[in-house]
Amino acid sequence: MSKKMVLVDTSKCTGCKACTVACKEWNELPAEKTQLLTSYQTMKEFTPKTWTYTTFTEKYEYPKMNWYIRKAQCFHCAEPACLKSCSSNAISKTDSGYVVIEQELCIGCGYCVDNCPFGVPKLDNSRKKAYKCTGCIDRVENNLTPACVQTCQPGCLEYGERETLLPQAKKRLSEVQKTHPKARIYGETEMGGTTFVYLLLDAPEVYGLPINPTTPLSLTIWKDIVRPVGGIAVGGAAAAVFVGVFGNVLRGAYREQAQEEKDAQKGGKR
Amino acid sequence: MAIRTHNPEEFQQPPQPDKVLRFTLGERVSHWTHALSFFLLLFTGLGILSLSFRPALVVFGGIQVARLIHRIVAVVFVVVVSGMFIFGNTKYHWEWLKSIFHFTKADRQHITAFPKEFFGGHGNYPAQGKFNGGEKINSLITLFGSIFITLSGLVMWFASSFPPVLVRWAYPVHDLSMFMMTASVIGHIYLGILHPDSCAALPGMLNGYVSTKFAKAHHAAWYNQVENPTTHEGENSL
Repeated sequence: MSKKMVLVDTSKCTGCKACTVACKEWNELPAEKTQLLTSYQTMKEFTPKTWTYTTFTEKYEYPKMNWYIRKAQCFHCAEPACLKSCSSNAISKTDSGYVVIEQELCIGCGYCVDNCPFGVPKLDNSRKKAYKCTGCIDRVENNLTPACVQTCQPGCLEYGERETLLPQAKKRLSEVQKTHPKARIYGETEMGGTTFVYLLLDAPEVYGLPINPTTPLSLTIWKDIVRPVGGIAVGGAAAAVFVGVFGNVLRGAYREQAQEEKDAQKGGKR
Repeated sequence: MAIRTHNPEEFQQPPQPDKVLRFTLGERVSHWTHALSFFLLLFTGLGILSLSFRPALVVFGGIQVARLIHRIVAVVFVVVVSGMFIFGNTKYHWEWLKSIFHFTKADRQHITAFPKEFFGGHGNYPAQGKFNGGEKINSLITLFGSIFITLSGLVMWFASSFPPVLVRWAYPVHDLSMFMMTASVIGHIYLGILHPDSCAALPGMLNGYVSTKFAKAHHAAWYNQVENPTTHEGENSL
């Protein structure tokens, strides 16, 4: 299957939040109590039951105010840190670029929650499972577009082949840069290239996104160094014991010991 | 609330004339609490670490029960042994702690000579204190392994109360501590049970007494001090 892409063109987003509703409807996620945090934003972060939400940032640059709106969801990274951290092989990546948690395998250890550079997966403590956006893999594999894309009225979201959508995004970027010189594409190379690619109107930090998201160094050290080296250390200790027992058998040390015990019982040589 | 963990008369009255007390009841309680909880933690933790080991967790009633047991036993692991330092048998615990940081020339010589003995040969080293050089290394690994595995475990347990970067580093620290202690305990068990010369130390951890023959051969500096406490005052042979 060819690599897919969802373009999130924030220059077209109106902040209507229909994507959040469509996501909840398709994925049968109940509504949650929200409260107004800042501007028009009502969700602070993802929850096990909210896989996409909209961030609103008001930036005052005299003489005007810029309103940066971003639909947040899982990026579906090409090099997913969550997948690397998973204790249970529950996270997999499809050839089309989707990163999915298999719920039957998930044990709710929370390693993915801690290691995602975007803070996407969230733990449901009562169910002991981690949840995040599936990218509507069940829809796209049946030739439908993701629920959020399907519902987006202003055309901010677009689903398609990566190789056709990415050039299209760059063309759009040159348009947008006429009015927003700091506009950029985010997700083309980040984390190996993400499936959800953004056209941002300003620098990523303005949106609260990491400037250079990476797989945490601690995760690489943990899985690629500590685990194999630790395994060798334990194996080495076991091998040393094996050699030691063998050496003592050769020396006849165990027989001597048994002999001594016998002597002791007899009350002999001691 | 001092726990009566050793009898002052224990030293004067060995059950048999050819025995000498090496470990008081308090020391033994700490050792076995640590040992038992360590293995429970190791087996429940291995089920998370390794997918091939995971099916074995059915003996605990599944992975979620195992995770709960891991947390309960972790509390025992930390509270009981550290409690022994503060409430019960404090003297011998702090002596142990002090001695393992004190590496004498004799200890260093033991460390270089002992590998030969480990594999069945005979190592030449000077008279050792209550803990020899190798035992001090094992003790240090156990001490620092326990401290780091506890701190990292606390961060992992209450992840939401700590900054994400700390939680991320807690994982490699937790695993590294486990690997160090597991490698160390494999050698420790071998010496305690399977090694023909060292296994004479095992009764010291069971009923507290070792044979004087063993004490003279393996821990002469300590044995002399126990036998003649006045003449060896000030001579640090711990």
